[in-house]
Amino acid sequence: MSDRLSLVALAALPIAVIVASFLRIDVERLRRLAVAGAIASLVAAPVVALSPDLREFSIRTSALSYVPGGEAIIRINALSAALLPFAAGLWLLTVAVTPRAALDRRGVRRTALATLITLASFLTESAVVLLALSVASVWTFLSALSDPAHRYQRRVVAVYLGVSTLLFALGVALLVSPGAEGTAIEVAGMWLIVIAALVRKGIVPFHAWVPEVFDHGRMGPAILFNAPQVGAYITVVLIVPRASAEMLRVIAILALITAVYGAALALVQTSARRACGYLFMSQSALVMAGLDCTSVTALTGGLLVWLSAGLAFAGLARCVLMLEARRGRLNLTTYHGGYERMPLLAVSFLCMGLACTGFPGTLGFIGQELLVGGAIDAFPIMGFAVVVASALTGLAVLRMYFSLFCGRSDELAHPNLRLGLTPREAWTFVALVMTLVGLGIAPRALVDSRFAASDDILRQRQERMLKNSSERPVVRVWERRVAPVTTKRG
Amino acid sequence: MTPSLPLTSLVLIGVGSPAILLVLLGAASLVNRPLPERWTGSLAATSMTMACGAFLVALAVYGTATSGTQLLSYGAWSASHEGGTAIEFLVDQLSLGFAALSTAIAGVVSAFSNRYLHRESGYNRYFVLLAMFVTGMLLVALAGNVAVLFIGWEFVGLSSALLVAFFHERPAAVSNAFRVLSVYRISDAAMLSAAVLLRHVAGTDSLSLLFGRVAPSGIGLTPTNATIIAVLLIVAVACKSALLPFSSWLPRAMEGPTPSSAVYYGSLSIHAGCFLLLRAAPLLEVTPMARLLAGGLGALTAVFAGIATRVQSDVKSSLAYASLTQVGIIVVEIAVGWYTVAFVHLVGHACFRLLQFLSAPNVLHDLHGIRDAIGNHPSTGGGHIQRVASERVRQRLFLIALERGFLDSILDRLVVAPFIRFARLLTHLDDWLCGAVVAVREPTVPEGAAHDE
Repeated sequence: MSDRLSLVALAALPIAVIVASFLRIDVERLRRLAVAGAIASLVAAPVVALSPDLREFSIRTSALSYVPGGEAIIRINALSAALLPFAAGLWLLTVAVTPRAALDRRGVRRTALATLITLASFLTESAVVLLALSVASVWTFLSALSDPAHRYQRRVVAVYLGVSTLLFALGVALLVSPGAEGTAIEVAGMWLIVIAALVRKGIVPFHAWVPEVFDHGRMGPAILFNAPQVGAYITVVLIVPRASAEMLRVIAILALITAVYGAALALVQTSARRACGYLFMSQSALVMAGLDCTSVTALTGGLLVWLSAGLAFAGLARCVLMLEARRGRLNLTTYHGGYERMPLLAVSFLCMGLACTGFPGTLGFIGQELLVGGAIDAFPIMGFAVVVASALTGLAVLRMYFSLFCGRSDELAHPNLRLGLTPREAWTFVALVMTLVGLGIAPRALVDSRFAASDDILRQRQERMLKNSSERPVVRVWERRVAPVTTKRG
Repeated sequence: MTPSLPLTSLVLIGVGSPAILLVLLGAASLVNRPLPERWTGSLAATSMTMACGAFLVALAVYGTATSGTQLLSYGAWSASHEGGTAIEFLVDQLSLGFAALSTAIAGVVSAFSNRYLHRESGYNRYFVLLAMFVTGMLLVALAGNVAVLFIGWEFVGLSSALLVAFFHERPAAVSNAFRVLSVYRISDAAMLSAAVLLRHVAGTDSLSLLFGRVAPSGIGLTPTNATIIAVLLIVAVACKSALLPFSSWLPRAMEGPTPSSAVYYGSLSIHAGCFLLLRAAPLLEVTPMARLLAGGLGALTAVFAGIATRVQSDVKSSLAYASLTQVGIIVVEIAVGWYTVAFVHLVGHACFRLLQFLSAPNVLHDLHGIRDAIGNHPSTGGGHIQRVASERVRQRLFLIALERGFLDSILDRLVVAPFIRFARLLTHLDDWLCGAVVAVREPTVPEGAAHDE
């Protein structure tokens, strides 16, 4: 019973904050309410994720699909188990450390709405529901760019994500049309959804909007829109179980190019915001590359990189925003100094950056190790590409760290100027770093849960492939080329 | 042979002591509540003494009870499924000896640093990085699989770069640290690429197989693959040990505090590459091309560093190049197969250079003491090159030595500048793409207008 209550609370808490944002409550109190709501969500999410009763829970309908037996519009499985606390954690990070001036009433409402959409997305496997939620999240993101100063960025985002959403809608329409399963219609629908996911995740050559919106748009909403990586979720739920090996290979190659491209360009940027944009592209592409391997180990690696890169990148970008709130726009061609005044922020930035690069002792290392190890047999070039991307990301992160926190004496700053973190900000960063490092030192439980999720995904894929091959000989051409699924446990 | 329980426990204590120190001091640093200096110093001394003692006893236990290389397995770390990382240590006289040497030297440096950095603002940070370094060195020394080796390699690299930037208010220290890190990342990438190739062609990441006395064909490696893996390892070693053409970072690394320069570039870190080559000796023996490459790089480095050390204007850079000369010679010894000589040379050189580095801040004081004692200037010696080379050759050698082989400018011109130009071109292309899709020019953002979140 308490498990079901937790599930209800998970949805009700962001809704409560949204409702409260319409009431006449002081903004600071509203913000405190949002922080409390986010903490409560973070407590409820693991209860929901770990509950054995809820693991069997699902609400199915055949109204939105022609699949016999219908699709689950709400379900909790091994995949969503870790994604719910992840989404709640991102909400807490956002409301706890966003500078006061940047989080007004509408901002609080928007973060709660974005979290609600993300949580709902992670709870469904229905293509139609995912499409509706995708439209809602794009609308929320665009509404954050509504002020005249960001008109250009709003147009760029509208064009890219509008096209992505349109392609997604067309793809879903083809996918759920009667008799499409196993036919060329399904393949066409799949390709449309693949392109939509690539655009949404900023994979080369559909990436140009990401650095632009990070650099000149509003970085906070951009983090909240991108860090949960709903595009990766769409890939896992809709593409991986259905796609042919060739389709997955194309996605993996584009993702690997993006991983190296993003890391290389992050290294030479003069703007800290833009460097964050390229870093996000690189990290997000690594996740995509892992998800598009048909090896259980690589897929597990991809799922782990998803969590570690999402949290670490969000934390890193929030550090940049906090520094901007204290110093103005940050240029990476000079040294800003300030380590002595903000040691906790500097150490947190470094730790989160290292987690992004897959440094040993962080969760990122475990994910990248499994990703490389699992992909080598099926796709050896992936191993080398991940190595290059990781080396370049490491350099880009250390360059940012040196530029933003070192190289200048603190005597230059005004002695009475207070630059330190508030207790709420400090504890949020400490908790985030401890999560990343703690899970990097003792990763067994999380890794095993991700193995279970990978097993589920690949079992679905295999079942679908077997079904198609027995029913429709026309698709056998693909299946012969599908890499064998490894589900052996050591 | 099943590893004995005392040996397994002793190795765990040896590696675990500095690792626990790292966690303790790191956690205190993270929450910005550093421990008092006295506690930090005592904890570091206890940890290093415990580790050194454990390895010395392990060496004795190993010598009396067993023979041959043993693989100590501590079970799976990251997953109970296939593909996860296992904690495995490869134990023999070489690895235990190097581990004992590392902890002994780290203990001496830790005691020295305790006074040298007294009331320095980065005191706690220094000991966190020292603990990371010692943990990394021990993992490199004892690694039983590629993952453990890589973890150690990364720990050594990051702690080294952050210690070069220890005085982080100085721009030169920070920019030099970034240079050092850039070369280390090449080393990391080369080592990981070797691991990827090994796993792809041989389906294993076990170092006991790769560095064992079995023919590469026994683990599924063709001669070409074995040569490529060996060459990648040599590139990793060349970057870490500052062999040519990657030597230019070494004098830059002298920006760090003297005790860290002593332990990294005088005694331990710079020899980590030599140790890895000693470990990889069985692989080198069956890959003559790689062996030739290692020998050639070692010889060239020894000659270059021998000349460069004579023109350095500061004592630490001079000592760093002197170290590099010996490292080059050790690599040559490994390449010709004199493994025992190479290991003895390594141990002796590490201890001797540590002493020289630690006494470097006192060198003028010592010189005055000697002059007072003997009543005259001590004889300078040298002059060997002057006797065999013409004036013109000497001038050219002087220029090369003074400019440190022009390695920095060659690297900048051939690699860094083209990379930056190309990446900036791609950045402009991305900007253009945005403008093209919306068919509007991007408005110019006034300075300070985009501070919102």
